[in-house]
Amino acid sequence: MDELKLSEIKEEIQKDRRAFIKNVLGGTIAGSLFLVIPAGAMEFPQQIPGMKDEKGTFITQKKFAFIVDITRCIGCGSCCVADKNEYKVPDGNYRTWVERYIIDDHDNVFVDAPNGGLDGYTEPREDVTNPVRDTFFVPKLCNMCEKPSCVQVCPVGATYQTEDGFVLIDDKRCVACSYCVQACPYSVRFINPVTKTADKCTWCYHRVRKGLLPACVNVCPVQARKFGDLNDKKSEVYDIMRQPHVISVLKHGMGNKPSLHYLGLRREVV
Amino acid sequence: MEPEYKSKYNAHLIKVILVLIVLGAGVIAAQALFIPSDFGEYGHYRTGAVEDERNRLVRNQTNESCLKCHPYIKKIHLGGVHKTVSCEFCHGPNADHAVDGKKIADMPVKRGEDIKALCLRCHNKIIRARPEESIKMIAMPQHLEEKRVQTTHICNQCHHVHAPMKWVIEAKRAHGLIKEEEKLFPWMN
Repeated sequence: MDELKLSEIKEEIQKDRRAFIKNVLGGTIAGSLFLVIPAGAMEFPQQIPGMKDEKGTFITQKKFAFIVDITRCIGCGSCCVADKNEYKVPDGNYRTWVERYIIDDHDNVFVDAPNGGLDGYTEPREDVTNPVRDTFFVPKLCNMCEKPSCVQVCPVGATYQTEDGFVLIDDKRCVACSYCVQACPYSVRFINPVTKTADKCTWCYHRVRKGLLPACVNVCPVQARKFGDLNDKKSEVYDIMRQPHVISVLKHGMGNKPSLHYLGLRREVV
Repeated sequence: MEPEYKSKYNAHLIKVILVLIVLGAGVIAAQALFIPSDFGEYGHYRTGAVEDERNRLVRNQTNESCLKCHPYIKKIHLGGVHKTVSCEFCHGPNADHAVDGKKIADMPVKRGEDIKALCLRCHNKIIRARPEESIKMIAMPQHLEEKRVQTTHICNQCHHVHAPMKWVIEAKRAHGLIKEEEKLFPWMN
């Protein structure tokens, strides 16, 4: 790659020395102006390194993974609020939500998610009579399966998997037949009552393409949600996936091969 | 008799073929009309749909982009334990407030009981299921009783919402409870 560039530069110099110097000077002046003039609001901070170079239809150099750290989540619902704000999700529908698990010493499991965790958890659970053994929060979102069953059942090609692994919805083609809503083993899909099409979490594809982290990852105050590139050896997700943590996916037996991984997931959830 | 039958048979065949041709043409015409030109380029979907999804409006920005225009808050917010808390969690999405660096509307600023509700979303002790060591937990009326203030107090009467321990530490310093240079907790402000 470098050799190619070097040879190209040499060729340019050979062609026209004067023009080359002009170009270089022009470039440096323009570059320094870039530093002086503050970048506009449309200039996004690059939270995911290297996304500026991804200009094609699909992302080619990266393999994204989403990790949710159960041991860190405090159930504040920041992620749900950010998600609702980002997409103006109609009330009563959730692209992401947070479930509360309470397990007592008789192994009874109590799960609830009032308003999807959007208003946070304000009340303790009253119906747990035995001493509590284990409690934790489980944030849920699209699992971005490698073998998505929702795509398989879509009769009009409105749900599709891009070549970079994102499962997205074309709301101009969707006829809201709800096949995908039923096919999804993780129940992340719903029919949006405003657009009258199927809707679900997209891992904020529009933000990721601009180099921003997904809205929920960006707002999490305790870094319970992590998003990154597995091809980047310096990324946190790469680090986590290589270490001997307890990492699992939901409903492994369904064979959908989710790209969403959970850290410290209890067997009661799987 | 024979040729007559034959000609009639042919006529039927021609009719059937004609109908098939018309139907086929209709199907091709309908396909051309209803299937977008970029459909099926990479798979069973419209390539333009990826572009549509990509061009969706970014409504939530980063704390960085908020604090760029609010240097005073920046100094306080980044100096305290709440530095990881998102601005937009309490104040709403950036897109409703500024477009291309220009203000279009005021951000909602929470007051009174709303502040208390926001604080308790993270710090409420009665909601079990939270990792103990992660953040400070308080039980609500007990905390106020313990600190010997009225139970009608709102959190921000003692705690700066952007840097919760700021005023507490300043007050302790002013009363000589902690020395000027000494930090109560190295990670706190």
